[in-house]
Amino acid sequence: MLRYIALRSFVALFLVWVVVTIVFLLLHLIPGDPAELLLSQGSIAADPQAVAALREKMGLNDPLWQQYLSHMAGVLSGDLGASFRDGAPVIDQIALRLPRTFEVIIGAALIATGLGVPLGTWAAIRADGKADAVISFFASAALSTPVFVVGSVVILIFAQELRWLPAGGFVAFSEDPVEHLKLLLLPAGTVGLNLLAVITRMSRASVLEVLQRDYVRTARAKGLPRGEILRRHVVRNALIPVVTVLGLEMGTLIGGTVLVEFVFNWPGLSGYLVSAVDARDYPEVVGIVMTISILFVFLNLVVDVVNALLDPRISLVTT
Amino acid sequence: MTTRLNRRGFLATTSVAATSLAFLGPKGLRAQEGGVLRFALSTYPPSFDAWASSGTAAGTIKLMMHRGLVGYGPDGLMRGELAESWEVAEDGTWTFKLRDATWHDGSPVTAEDIAWNVTEAQKPDSAAYLQGQLASITSIETPDAKTVIMKTTEPQATLPGWFAHYNMPMIKKGEPRDTMIGSGPFKMEKNDRGVSLTLTAYDGYYKEGLPKLARVEAIVYADENLRVAALEAGDVDLIEYVPWQAMSQIEGNGELKLDTVDGPFMYLTFNGSKPPFDNPLVRRAVAHAIKREDIVAAAFYDRGGALEHLPIAEKSEFFNPEYANGWNYDPDKAKALLAEAGYPDGFDCTMLSTAQYGMHQSTAEVCQAYLSMIGINVTLDLPEWSTRVKKGNEGQYDLAIMGTTAANNDPDGLSNQVDGSLPNSFVRSFQLPTPEITDLFAKGRAIFDTEERKAIYKELERVAIETAPMVGLAWRSQGYAMKAGVEGFTNMPGQLTFYSGITLEDTMLG
Repeated sequence: MLRYIALRSFVALFLVWVVVTIVFLLLHLIPGDPAELLLSQGSIAADPQAVAALREKMGLNDPLWQQYLSHMAGVLSGDLGASFRDGAPVIDQIALRLPRTFEVIIGAALIATGLGVPLGTWAAIRADGKADAVISFFASAALSTPVFVVGSVVILIFAQELRWLPAGGFVAFSEDPVEHLKLLLLPAGTVGLNLLAVITRMSRASVLEVLQRDYVRTARAKGLPRGEILRRHVVRNALIPVVTVLGLEMGTLIGGTVLVEFVFNWPGLSGYLVSAVDARDYPEVVGIVMTISILFVFLNLVVDVVNALLDPRISLVTT
Repeated sequence: MTTRLNRRGFLATTSVAATSLAFLGPKGLRAQEGGVLRFALSTYPPSFDAWASSGTAAGTIKLMMHRGLVGYGPDGLMRGELAESWEVAEDGTWTFKLRDATWHDGSPVTAEDIAWNVTEAQKPDSAAYLQGQLASITSIETPDAKTVIMKTTEPQATLPGWFAHYNMPMIKKGEPRDTMIGSGPFKMEKNDRGVSLTLTAYDGYYKEGLPKLARVEAIVYADENLRVAALEAGDVDLIEYVPWQAMSQIEGNGELKLDTVDGPFMYLTFNGSKPPFDNPLVRRAVAHAIKREDIVAAAFYDRGGALEHLPIAEKSEFFNPEYANGWNYDPDKAKALLAEAGYPDGFDCTMLSTAQYGMHQSTAEVCQAYLSMIGINVTLDLPEWSTRVKKGNEGQYDLAIMGTTAANNDPDGLSNQVDGSLPNSFVRSFQLPTPEITDLFAKGRAIFDTEERKAIYKELERVAIETAPMVGLAWRSQGYAMKAGVEGFTNMPGQLTFYSGITLEDTMLG
């Protein structure tokens, strides 16, 4: 098991290096000059002399390989550089923003699993019945509605019409915990709705499949109560693919909550990435992408380990 | 104590949850706190560098924290700020007399502070927005703590305008350029990068009784629709950059009010380094080929107006009625001009705009449609904004759509868009020399008599209409919206709309 984790971690590190290198190179290939953009804010003609001076200060006049090497050296010593825009250390900004994105994702995952697994199981037990039809219909509807539509609709209902919740924004938990949670509800719920649909459908399919297994028939034959069969034999086994999917979805969400963060004005990591790309703030973009790739790879690792724990056969096969 | 989930435990938990839900009551019912204005900004200032151009949101924050030598009042007229009075001698020497004002740390604002600002910002590598203009100040003297005397290479009639700009506020001598110590009505209390800024009233502000607000909370709402939703839901009191599509909805809401001015404008720039747009006849043909009303309708929901001349507002004393329709919509004339230029059957070309901003794209689409009617087949190039800026600076286009405001309401403020002797930039035509216009701008700067200046800028507009170094398309309405109870906040006239933050010192909540 430990050897397995060590090997996987090594592969993961290699992957992260590949991602960072590709992003670094791509960023320098796409048009757009950070110095020029910074000095042209508000559609103003930037003075070429000032642009040249700023480029020199940003180190953009060095050869690309030199910029790459000095950046990688920084990364290895734990320094992700400073923002081109205002000199704020990138690592501090990520440390500030990442937990906020996590909050949304974890909130969404809680909603999705808390409701999705029971709903999916129920739909599977009542397969082809009325409950199944209703659940499957809503799951499909939720899955096919884009988050910005859901987001705009919930703002209209809960903020503008009912005025139960603020339309969006952010207040630190330490400042006002109640306001913080109120502000978190809508974005987490919006992301959660989509995830809920995925989990419900996945649970339904998975439970249906497990219900056909021989050991379930055996359990029935030996007269175990229905609830116990479901709990001990069906749901536990059916959870394995659900956990895998949940892990992958959460990984995708770390960099994929852009629209939700935008719609609800939630200052997380995705929105930070978009603004960094817009400004061609190279240190920020590379730092954020690196963080996201590390987390994504790490989440995959966690999913594998959790699966191994849920089903001891998995680790036997792979080690 | 043991925790067990049973019926009683469940009931206890749910009732606690239900009670806490009661806190999620409507925000509007809460009592209004005394004098705190919540202001929804469109973006977080990318930097607080006092002298750099960092966009209009940064400008608004700077106008809260800082003050310049002079400024503009809500009526758009220049007034003294740190300078109590100023005058110009016959040889063009400017003398500013300072009033008693203090920095946010309590120390007095001195002539030496002012001189330091000028000498630092005029350095060639300062990257100050006004570096080019300030470089023409050859000497700056401070005979006493309250007097600043500036001499320039040639007389400069527009000099006070430089010191009224929100990108040239005064900061305390020796402070870093992004200092939070200013002399304005509000002090920076805290800023959460990318999220919000809190500014509190400075009790030592030099204007008695101002500011009226105790605090301003500036919160970033990047999405324009959310900005409107937040205002309607009562989360904020004031919003900037009201989207045009929401304007009538706000006007129809009795709890809100809308304040708009026609200030910013859309225009066409040309690549003058190669045919066909190096030919003024072709540029004029384009100017006469486009029906401006359709741009105003498509891009701005009819919030704005046609612009068929240089962007000099009708209310300005420099407005020339005889040129008001200098580039009127006249497809026959356009075709004739095109034939005269040697293109009777038109030609193919690319138009640069951006898909990132709807108004830029819609304007481009309308122009494309009208140009096709006189035989010019336009291919649109719509990259995201950063690429568009780059391509504009490098002249990778035939003609391009731009939108901006002039530096101020003085016609000299248009030199950025019109003067072809300035370095290549996406805000003006690429490598398109305008020798006559360059001379006229220089003349206008060196003369102090308003009537004489009017004559110069009238001649300048005549030349511009003839040669079309840029082509005006549309005025666009720039709006602020606020709760009906917000008093004293004014959207300043014309090109000064982005100076409106200065009126936050007079703003109060009813």
